[in-house]
Amino acid sequence: MREFDGKALLSALVLFVACAASSPRVNAQSNAPASFNVKHVIGLQAVQHNTKGQATVSKDALTFTSGPTKSDLAISGIEDVQTGVDSQRIIGGTIGTLTMVAPYGSGRFLSLFREKIDTLTIEYRDTNGGLHGAIFTLPKGLASALKAQLVAAGAKASPVPAQEATKP
Amino acid sequence: MNRQTRDRALSSLVLPALALVAFLAFSRPTAQAAQASTATPPTPMHASALQVLQIQAEDVKLPAEFQMAMYEHVMEEVGKTRRFEHLYRDGDRDAASAPDLVTLRCTATGFKQGSAEKRQVTTVTGKTSIKVHLLFTDKNGQKLFENDVEGKVQFLGENLRATFDFGKKVAAVVRQDFTPAKSAKKS
Repeated sequence: MREFDGKALLSALVLFVACAASSPRVNAQSNAPASFNVKHVIGLQAVQHNTKGQATVSKDALTFTSGPTKSDLAISGIEDVQTGVDSQRIIGGTIGTLTMVAPYGSGRFLSLFREKIDTLTIEYRDTNGGLHGAIFTLPKGLASALKAQLVAAGAKASPVPAQEATKP
Repeated sequence: MNRQTRDRALSSLVLPALALVAFLAFSRPTAQAAQASTATPPTPMHASALQVLQIQAEDVKLPAEFQMAMYEHVMEEVGKTRRFEHLYRDGDRDAASAPDLVTLRCTATGFKQGSAEKRQVTTVTGKTSIKVHLLFTDKNGQKLFENDVEGKVQFLGENLRATFDFGKKVAAVVRQDFTPAKSAKKS
């Protein structure tokens, strides 16, 4: 019995180390990508809501590109960058809505399959001083990497609350 | 079954049904009246410009993404009402030169972050709701009128959809209490 407990403990430890090593947060911190796959929720000028695209941080701007659409956000105008966590259905959009009327409650069953995502909220001022807020969602663990790149480029950001800093 | 027993059975069904009808008939206007209990102008007002200040959440812990999404949705939805020639954002320097500027201050008074998963699975639980007090003031800071609105998502959609509902509700207040502008421009 005692030997079994030891093996189980060892297996759990190995599993824990493997999970920790493969977590996206560690990957995100060790080698942050040059561009991020993001979804623009709201806030950028001339970009439609819920548009998927690439966000790239350069020396003086955050550039969002989605096909022919391109929007630049001046780093000097950014007043605050905040990260958060959320979740979304794996099967979303129109198909996700249609599954809600699927028979035998299968739509509800599919709703149980959700993925965790990060949110990145950027508070910025336009050239006239007007306040704007741009919200992006990213795969889990990448928001802090994008925030770090923005801060390194000169964007202002409020201090990370203790609760957010200790999140796994 | 004799006649007396049948009448008694009928009356035992009819009376609760009548009571239910009466409750439904009177409860709805009362709820609406409670929502519109705050001071609103008797007749729609006219103003050429509106400045929407940043959403305040001093007593409520409102996540940043909700706060900014609410602001952006208010700007979008109020812009669609075409009630003002100019719609200014918080801090816009041009707002100072507007002659009859109205300022909108939104203060979050309640926030409950529900769960989209619960909503989609159970339908009846997991509601997300944001309660906000709206205060419209003139250029001198004098109160014009105030209102309370609630943005919520009860059935379909992720939590942030409550901010879209909030924007719609603010636009409805603006549409009701301001006359249309001759030519609307969005700043």
